[in-house]
Amino acid sequence: MYIEQLVFIVSSAALIGCALMMVIAKNTVHSALFLVMCFVASAVLWILLEAEFLALILIFVYVGAVMTLFLFVIMLLNLDIISREKGMFVRFLPIGIVLILGMLAMMVYVISPEHFGHLVPVHESADYSNIKELGMVLYTQYVYPLEAAAALLLVAIIAAVGLTFRGKAHRKAQNINEQLLVKKEDRLTILKMPSEGKEE
Amino acid sequence: MPVQVPDLTPAVPQIYVLIMTCVTLLVSLFASKKHSAWTYILSQLTLLGAIVLTLLYFHHKSQVTFHGNMIVDHVSMLLTIFICAITFFVLLYSRDYIKQHKMPNTEYHVLVLFSTLGMMILVSSYSFVSIYVGLELFTLPLYALIALRRDSAVYSEAAMKYFVMGAIASGMLLYGLSMIYGATGSVQIAEVVKVISALPSSQHLIILFGLVFVIAGVAFKLGAVPFHMWVPDVYDGSPNTVTLMIATGPKIAAFGLVIRLLAETMPDVQLAWSHALMLIAVLSIGLGNIVAIVQSNIKRMLAYSSIAQMGYMLLGVIAGTANGYAAAMFYVLIYSLMSLAAFGLVAMLSRDGIDIQHIEDLRGLNERNPWLAFMMLIVMFSMAGIPPLAGFMAKIGVLEAVIAVGHVWLAAVALLFAIVGAYYYIRVVKVMYFDDPLQSTRIDLPTGDMRVALTVNGLSVLALGIFPGILMSLCQAAF
Amino acid sequence: MLTNYFPILVFIAIGIAVGGGLIIFSRLIAPNKPNAEKLSPYECGFPAFEDARLPFDVRYYLVAILFILFDLETAFFVPWAVVLHKIGLYGFLSMMVFLLILVVGFIYEWKKGALEWE
Repeated sequence: MYIEQLVFIVSSAALIGCALMMVIAKNTVHSALFLVMCFVASAVLWILLEAEFLALILIFVYVGAVMTLFLFVIMLLNLDIISREKGMFVRFLPIGIVLILGMLAMMVYVISPEHFGHLVPVHESADYSNIKELGMVLYTQYVYPLEAAAALLLVAIIAAVGLTFRGKAHRKAQNINEQLLVKKEDRLTILKMPSEGKEE
Repeated sequence: MPVQVPDLTPAVPQIYVLIMTCVTLLVSLFASKKHSAWTYILSQLTLLGAIVLTLLYFHHKSQVTFHGNMIVDHVSMLLTIFICAITFFVLLYSRDYIKQHKMPNTEYHVLVLFSTLGMMILVSSYSFVSIYVGLELFTLPLYALIALRRDSAVYSEAAMKYFVMGAIASGMLLYGLSMIYGATGSVQIAEVVKVISALPSSQHLIILFGLVFVIAGVAFKLGAVPFHMWVPDVYDGSPNTVTLMIATGPKIAAFGLVIRLLAETMPDVQLAWSHALMLIAVLSIGLGNIVAIVQSNIKRMLAYSSIAQMGYMLLGVIAGTANGYAAAMFYVLIYSLMSLAAFGLVAMLSRDGIDIQHIEDLRGLNERNPWLAFMMLIVMFSMAGIPPLAGFMAKIGVLEAVIAVGHVWLAAVALLFAIVGAYYYIRVVKVMYFDDPLQSTRIDLPTGDMRVALTVNGLSVLALGIFPGILMSLCQAAF
Repeated sequence: MLTNYFPILVFIAIGIAVGGGLIIFSRLIAPNKPNAEKLSPYECGFPAFEDARLPFDVRYYLVAILFILFDLETAFFVPWAVVLHKIGLYGFLSMMVFLLILVVGFIYEWKKGALEWE
């Protein structure tokens, strides 16, 4: 129990710190890397919640793939260092702080054991597999949203290709099939010419 | 554990649309340039087929299937029929526009069909998971549709705005839903209702906390004040036919979202959400109608008008009675018909160098094409709520519903702003009929079937105003 | 379940200790006398010609996004493979439908030529 709490405190502190740094950091690439740290820290939190599959997905889809995409976008737009206008940041800071404090107070008041206490899940034993439990319902009970999600992925493919694809490239490459199918007649033309007598 | 296979028959229209959309994609991909009309024909067959299949199933009672993830009742079927019919008209109206503006044919049709499928899924969802996936499936293609012509900075900007706002709205909705899941321990609406009604009212706090975010998310999707900022910019910045798409079907789908998430999931905290919606409705009606007056751009004017109209629609939901929901449903269906005709006309007239952007561009439309002017007149009068048009019957319905539950002041405010709003609708009519045209050449719609479609569309607004009984009773039977 | 992850926690702790320790020790032990010349960037003895970061072609982005989509698809396969023998034919077919829908997308991008590179 003690270790669990320690891990929780460390990773949630890391999560908050990295999220804050992501917003503050001047260099966009640094921001993206802090976001990676946020994902890792929240993956640890999810492991603590025994949602191991989601934690692994978070690492291998978000850290592995989505972040690559983020870095691509940063490179694509050539955003070196965003010239953050200091004035804007400072100007909106007071109202931001008031909003954050308001939200925080509300959450502390509402999300308390008093309201959630009756639904605290029990700790599972060592042979419990979250992936199995997920698999048991995902492909049977939740087949309707599952197929809709497939359609969603298809839409994403079409949208991505439609928005960024510029048409087939005109490549200057060898077409090996054509090269192999070439016959002698395609390349060689034998012309009959009258022989020219040797000049004496 | 033996797995029970769900009954697929209620889902046949959606399965059909999914299969046909994939077929359309593949056929259009492999067909040569000459046969590009097939994309259009197959898309329209998809939508017509979905309508027919839903109609064939219409006599059934409400049925929950897919392990409680999907519900097929009269609400979902009626909304599905309207969504498909309206998308049918959208594709018909936009056929010429996409050719003229060189939008990619395959992608355009397939994305529209997927968006329609998403709306169908959304209105027949019965669990938070399918609601969310349905919502994303209907909005994601719309973001892409706006930016489909990449060379235009205006379109990209509109797509970006819509996407960021839509993502924030989805995030809020998801956060609210996760709170409700945390408090009730279920994502299935049928279960959530049971748990909430069993909760003592001291435990309602967490539900209310989630509810706030759900309302914010829903209001974003409806485009109601104070979550309306994206509406004018996106309507104005999108290609005309995409505006047509965004301004019609999604309103019906968002109404479905309101019904599923508020009316059906949380009848026990009805008081709480109806108060929040009251504020949203009054602000939407007020701001929408007042700001629309000063617009000179017709798309922006119609955008602010849609904000106000969504406010009126919410009045019916606020009443919280079966009659109120029916009136709201009638309202949203009529609104989408009117919006279809208005944006359709704008989209179809914008060609050959004529670009309908400002209200002034419609000057003297009566002299250039009296029939089109008459259609626009019907739609504008109907939006303003002038009898005997459908918009009038719809407004009467929602006002009656709020008065029946004792919110007379709400009805009075709504009525006052309806009179204010009549000004800018009638201004369009004045411009069309009493101002001299800049050019005297006759303008017309591109093809005969479009002329017929717009006539059917315009006259349906008139017919539903004179004979509202059939649709009204269908709406009432649904609740 | 969490007890299964204890070795990983120990592993991470050791990793952080070793990695962090090396940085700290080198900081403490190594001589550190910077000057302006030492710290200035250079390319093969010349001053740097241009920024290290160049704008990317949008095609890289297309490849990356298509990769993510199929990456997600594999994520859906993992729990399915784990419980395949329990969810029966119905579970099998539901995933096949999922796959079929994505294969349509695959055919689309292939035929479009989005997977080709100059």
